[in-house]
Amino acid sequence: MKRSLIHTVVFFIMFLSVINLCAQVNEKIWFDGLFRSYFARDAIDKSKIDDTISANNTSNGYNILDLNTHINPIDDIEVFAQLRIRNSFGSFFGSGTEINVRQLRAKGVINNKVRFSIGDLFLKQSKFTLYNYDEELSGYENDLLKHYRDIIHYENFYRENRWRSQGIQTDFSFEFDRFIRSIDFDLFVTRPRGSSQINESTYSSDLLLSGGSIISKINKSLTLSGNYINLFEVASSGTRNISLRNPIHDMLLTHNFSNDKNHFEQTLQTGFSKRYWLHTELENNLEDSISNYTEGMYFELENKFIKKDSTLFLKVGYRYVDPNFRSAGAQSRRLDYISKSNTIYPNYTNMSITRPTSIFDLASDEQLYNQNLSSILMGFNPIYSNILPYGDATPNRTGVYMDAKYYNKNKLFISKLNAAFFNEVIGQGTLEKRNFLLFKGAAKINFHRLLNWDKELSIHVSSESELTRRGGDSISSLNLYSHHINTSINAEIAKKFFLQASCKQLNANGNEFLTERNNYGNITYFTSTHIDQKDYLFSFGMLYKFRDNVYANLHYNWWGMKFTDQIYSDYKYNRLLLILSVEL
Amino acid sequence: MRVFFWLIFFFWAGFSFSQDTIINQKPFSSNILSYNNPSTTISFSGYYRFLGFVRNQQETFPNNSGKTVAISSGDAYREPMLLLKLNGKTRDKITFGADFMLNSLYKGPSSDFTQALTLNLGLNLSTSITTKHGTFNFKSGGVSWYRQSRLTVWGNRSFNRISIYERRPQTPLNKTPIDRYSRYYNSGLIDQGVRYGSRAFQGIFFQGLKLPLNFSVKGVLGKSNFNRSVLENNDNFTGSFQLKNTLSTSSKIAYNYLSSWANTDSISDNRRSYFLHTLELDKKWNKIQVQMELGVGNYSDPKYKAKKGEAILVNIKTAKSTKVPLNLQLYRISPQFVNVTGNFLNTSILEVFPNIDGVGTTIRTPYQSPMVGLGFPVNNRQGVSINANVNFDRLKLNGGIGVFAEIDTSYAALSYNHNVNSQTLSRIYLFAQNWGPYNALNSTYRGVYETVNITDTTAAGLANFKKFFNTIEFQAKYNNKIFGKNYYIFSLTRLNTCQKDLNILPQMGSEVLITQFSQEVDLSYEITDKAALVLTYGLEKVMGNQYTDIGDNPDSTATNSFLESLGLENLFRYTNSRNQKNTLFGFGLDYKIGNNAMLFYRFNRYRYFDPNFIDNHLKGWEMMLELKINF
Repeated sequence: MKRSLIHTVVFFIMFLSVINLCAQVNEKIWFDGLFRSYFARDAIDKSKIDDTISANNTSNGYNILDLNTHINPIDDIEVFAQLRIRNSFGSFFGSGTEINVRQLRAKGVINNKVRFSIGDLFLKQSKFTLYNYDEELSGYENDLLKHYRDIIHYENFYRENRWRSQGIQTDFSFEFDRFIRSIDFDLFVTRPRGSSQINESTYSSDLLLSGGSIISKINKSLTLSGNYINLFEVASSGTRNISLRNPIHDMLLTHNFSNDKNHFEQTLQTGFSKRYWLHTELENNLEDSISNYTEGMYFELENKFIKKDSTLFLKVGYRYVDPNFRSAGAQSRRLDYISKSNTIYPNYTNMSITRPTSIFDLASDEQLYNQNLSSILMGFNPIYSNILPYGDATPNRTGVYMDAKYYNKNKLFISKLNAAFFNEVIGQGTLEKRNFLLFKGAAKINFHRLLNWDKELSIHVSSESELTRRGGDSISSLNLYSHHINTSINAEIAKKFFLQASCKQLNANGNEFLTERNNYGNITYFTSTHIDQKDYLFSFGMLYKFRDNVYANLHYNWWGMKFTDQIYSDYKYNRLLLILSVEL
Repeated sequence: MRVFFWLIFFFWAGFSFSQDTIINQKPFSSNILSYNNPSTTISFSGYYRFLGFVRNQQETFPNNSGKTVAISSGDAYREPMLLLKLNGKTRDKITFGADFMLNSLYKGPSSDFTQALTLNLGLNLSTSITTKHGTFNFKSGGVSWYRQSRLTVWGNRSFNRISIYERRPQTPLNKTPIDRYSRYYNSGLIDQGVRYGSRAFQGIFFQGLKLPLNFSVKGVLGKSNFNRSVLENNDNFTGSFQLKNTLSTSSKIAYNYLSSWANTDSISDNRRSYFLHTLELDKKWNKIQVQMELGVGNYSDPKYKAKKGEAILVNIKTAKSTKVPLNLQLYRISPQFVNVTGNFLNTSILEVFPNIDGVGTTIRTPYQSPMVGLGFPVNNRQGVSINANVNFDRLKLNGGIGVFAEIDTSYAALSYNHNVNSQTLSRIYLFAQNWGPYNALNSTYRGVYETVNITDTTAAGLANFKKFFNTIEFQAKYNNKIFGKNYYIFSLTRLNTCQKDLNILPQMGSEVLITQFSQEVDLSYEITDKAALVLTYGLEKVMGNQYTDIGDNPDSTATNSFLESLGLENLFRYTNSRNQKNTLFGFGLDYKIGNNAMLFYRFNRYRYFDPNFIDNHLKGWEMMLELKINF
């Protein structure tokens, strides 16, 4: 009820002020946002599954309007509110409506010098301190499934690899005429999780994230930056006397130089982390103590080569990340397999067992994704990402990597290549270490450029392979291979109107050990798992595209999983999907 | 503490070295940068409508809780007190809208009475694409109002013979209070908003106009209000489209299709469905216009598979410029021709009405052989009616007569909508089914219908005969001036009967199963430019015969106590069956406060009484004060 009151008040403040102000100061209030109509009908193929319990089909949909209201009461100040109006499909008249304040923020520049933001922030620092890494299997997404991905990112506030947080941030910079060129400063304090009541007498503590950056451009080709971040709990804001501390110090030195045609850049990055739990206000006047202390460092050397005509990009590097390196801001995962479950047909078979997550779920189910920072390493599924489940900040990895992009001058042919060879720094549960081999490649051929057609005709193909091996005895040895292939075709049959088809398939076989951790991130058990499965997702549809982010998309998906010698049964489902999306 | 120190230091430094601060370059920021990009125009419209309501029940049904006085604010139905319509348009000329509904119970400051902000109808998105092949309009969301053809998608719409004493939230404000009554006098039509004559749908709407060869197309795929499932995610949809060709300015032809389907069981393939194909023809000669719609439909569910059923609607009307404009209507709709979104009542398949708590009752129309007015077709029925208008100077008369017959025997029951006190009764128990001391009353949106059981039945429980219906409607409108100010008198007389035999004219007497007679008189007087006085009187008599429910009063009563007191025995009869008398006397004031702001006051004394059904006795008064402000 209180919430409703708040929404009503916010609503009145926003809209009724708009009505009053429109005539005189209309330019001080402006709008953008998003409107989306979404309808999905899912059906089970019971000829493939022994399942008489699940519904034959389910359908659901909604209309949402995210109205971004930008209020500029004075120059250099903006108050921003995002109001979400959600109307479920099939509700009776306006019932089933939800109205929420989705974002609220004030930002501006003080005296034309210091920039500040208060409220909802989207923060990013360095790859090892604060960085929201892309989810697995999303690197080479095809055009047909891109709309699913866009919705997942939008609904989970994934913007430019930033974490959404709420707090205060400021930045400012100085320019010098000798010794160094400039220094930029950036500071923030946010609260990823507020204190809340657990039961009648127990409250959780506030979890805060603070950080700062200093970036100095020493000369034209040399930049030195330092980052600091700390995720910590304020014990006194709750009733627990144990509080987290996770500070990370990071340093980055970049050197770059160019000639007429090429640009070169070398980066040296290193830093270290600590993580421990602080015990305070102990009984019998005992002094404060710490537990579960870990400390780890990382090091990365990277070289980039870029052709200035944008036809070639090449990156090679070496990276070492200590097994005990812990950075909540960089190691929290988007996909959360542990606390989230599939939205579509979460259970199947007559035994009503939990349906294993498939590539379709990863591509389409926004509910599987996480928006919170995790103080411990989150669980992951080795089938979909075993080499770098925590991105570049994945601990216990040392090795070399390569990343390349090639564009034909008239963009007839576009290709990407990504390869890496990593080892574990120490063995997990054994002295033997895992070896990892990663190879990803993608190519897009724009036939319409070859044939000089106005309308698009293109084919996109990508292949991603991961190989994990560990030697040793029959118990500790492992061998896991997964291969993800993704093809799609886009045919513009009328102006802005496309027919699209895609095929996405993932094969995984071998064996691995799943790692179980306790509340302090310590490994408690390794579960041996045997894998031999095939995921598939076939799609066919049509798209009418007014422009980017303004489109109508209708398509059909056939998807499922096949298991060999597994405890799971095969399954197969279909989906009809309609999305109308308008960026206002 | 250290953090604060550094924070203060850097802020101080920022101010101190202002000449060195780089603004134009983009220094590092951990936060995202945004840019001013006003791309969407937004405007608002709507209304504020306060409705204060007091009802004092002097006679109640026996199961009344003891609460006899009701004081409330806000419309008892789901209507906004403040309707705020947001209308937006993007740079791509895509329009979007939301209609916010804000209500307050005005029951005190307690947060328990705070009402959540919600939407009146829903969110809508629409766009139009113009090509050399035609103009294509798309709309998604809902609720949107959609109309196609009378047999497929069409709202209930008839001859507008009603009393306009009662107001609805959608009733627009006129320039002056008396305008509402003068318009009704002059045109006979009342503007009841966009929803009138259309059906509410959610889903995807499309329309193609100015297509080659004079074709046009429109359709919808989604859910009407009748597409409700117990399990919300179950399949339950309606799809419909129309392909129309304008052969010439005076002739049109159209093909319509409608399909509705609903899963009856989540884990099997069982479904309830019906489909319709219809052909519409519209031809206009000099003074005569013929509109015809022919259709075939089919209904099936897991237990019952109907044969294909036919439907035909014919409407022949003369031009309004003729001395006595006539309108001849014929129809035949088979019991197998089932649809709940057309302009006819479904009476053959009860199961197509959703029976969901809180929803089913709001949209279930009378389905047991309803006695309806002219212009309301019903399936499992055929008939003809003729309507005419004639003017004698300031006196305008219009009326019609109709005779209808069931095609097949049906439920051993009848139902009829109350013409008098219908809104008053529905407000006593909103959206309830089978209520009242005899479980005969059913409340719908601003109306009540009553069911009557028939005792002459077959072994299967159906009526042992086909039912025949007669209807007469007669309306007189008169306008003149008194003290230089306009006054309007509207008189509406309606007679509906149902009997076992076919008769051209309505019958009176004991052979008639149910006789429903009503007389309503409205008077509107223009006091000033800003004020109008309104008066109403309504009387309704409903009488049954020995084949209908017998009351619990052991003594029979006269069907007309006035004639009984005069001793005119040939003009009345004694009966133990239904002998209802409904009366309403009301007065009110319409007052214009200012532009787009009006005040409406209504006071009604009502009585619902049946001497043979002892507990059927309601009496009291109700008072309403409505303030409506448009913006």
